[in-house]
Amino acid sequence: MKEKTVSSKSYRIELEAFEGPLDLLLYLLRRDEIDIYDIPVAHVADQFLNYIRAARELDLDIASEYLVMAATLTKMKSKALLPTHRYDGEEEVDPGAELRRQLILYRTFRTIAEELQRSEETWTEIYTSPGERSRWSSDSIEIEPGQASLLDLLKALNSLTEGEAEIPSQRIQRTMLTISECIDTLEGRIVPGKTISFREIIGPEPARLRIVSYFITILELIRRGWISCHQAYPFSEIELQRTERWSVDS
Amino acid sequence: MILDRLAREVEALIFASEKPLSIEQLCEYTGSGEDSIHQALDRLNRAFLDNQHALTIVEVAGGFRIATDREFGDVVSQLFEGRKPGKLSRAALETMAVIAYSQPCTRIAIESIRGVNCDSAIRTLLERDMIRISGRMETPGRPLLYSTTRAFLEYFGLSNLDHLPRFDEIEELLGMSSSEMEERDLFGTGEE
Repeated sequence: MKEKTVSSKSYRIELEAFEGPLDLLLYLLRRDEIDIYDIPVAHVADQFLNYIRAARELDLDIASEYLVMAATLTKMKSKALLPTHRYDGEEEVDPGAELRRQLILYRTFRTIAEELQRSEETWTEIYTSPGERSRWSSDSIEIEPGQASLLDLLKALNSLTEGEAEIPSQRIQRTMLTISECIDTLEGRIVPGKTISFREIIGPEPARLRIVSYFITILELIRRGWISCHQAYPFSEIELQRTERWSVDS
Repeated sequence: MILDRLAREVEALIFASEKPLSIEQLCEYTGSGEDSIHQALDRLNRAFLDNQHALTIVEVAGGFRIATDREFGDVVSQLFEGRKPGKLSRAALETMAVIAYSQPCTRIAIESIRGVNCDSAIRTLLERDMIRISGRMETPGRPLLYSTTRAFLEYFGLSNLDHLPRFDEIEELLGMSSSEMEERDLFGTGEE
């Protein structure tokens, strides 16, 4: 087990240095001196999968692109191993052609990127006047008409709102009204032998919390059988009366 | 070497200008033709060289500027310490390369060439002002199109897009089917 970890260690460094599956494939081709126009699919697929396996052993996050490529290569490999039926007049389709196209295209752009990097190397050491360095010092980049991007507009908007006073805020204290508190209150209000309406209990212009709390309390008291209630018709006054059980139970 | 009047006028204009001056502007302000300006610029640069100045005149992003010699990069960089952005990552450079050659192009097009997700590379390039959103493609989903900016030319010391290293075949290559590609090795590179 230990040996395995050591051997896969080199993969770790390398995998992180790759800019995706195409980059890794190009590396494999170069390492094994394989002609891009004559790729031994089975061999390359195995090599590629080795890397993925090694990365997986190390619990590395493998970008999904690598897995797609691994699947593609596996499919190509299995196709290459199976005997092909060729019908007259039908040309053999090379499954590697599309991959080859991708590799060549990517390789070209990678070469260009290297070229750009050389220019960058040179030009970061050159300072011009008047030059681009105003970009680094001030945030007021001059933008030609019609050239402003969404990002520029967002930047402009941000600079306007930056440092502006905070949105005025106010602390709102939440009042708590528990069921047991309500029961204690109702104890004195619902007196034996008298009828009281729900409206009377909650009082004039009650807060929503008060209505809800007392309503739930009423339901609770009904459940316990401590009060009886009566409502003549929907939305009419709810009349409440204490029962014998209240005094007995409590 | 004694510089003539025109060369010194050009030097004064480039030095004093707030913006890089184009060849047309130099012609207009000096009342001379393009050829004379180019020759004057050559004489100026020769004079800089002969007298071992740390400056030359270069054409970047369609305008002429006075530039310091590369040799003094380290000394001059002290002026901009902490403000100068770092170099671009490989991912950003590759993404930059694809956009530069196939602009305007969509994110999907870039990703299909690079074979990986390019979200963060694109974001970096947008933030650094190297690319801009230049429109939308009129296909389902109307994806955004990206193009290079003048800052891109300045950053890589290019005078204009035509001065990108030539890869004439790219356009052809992008539109070509895989079977067509089989027939020839477009870059004569064959192997790595």
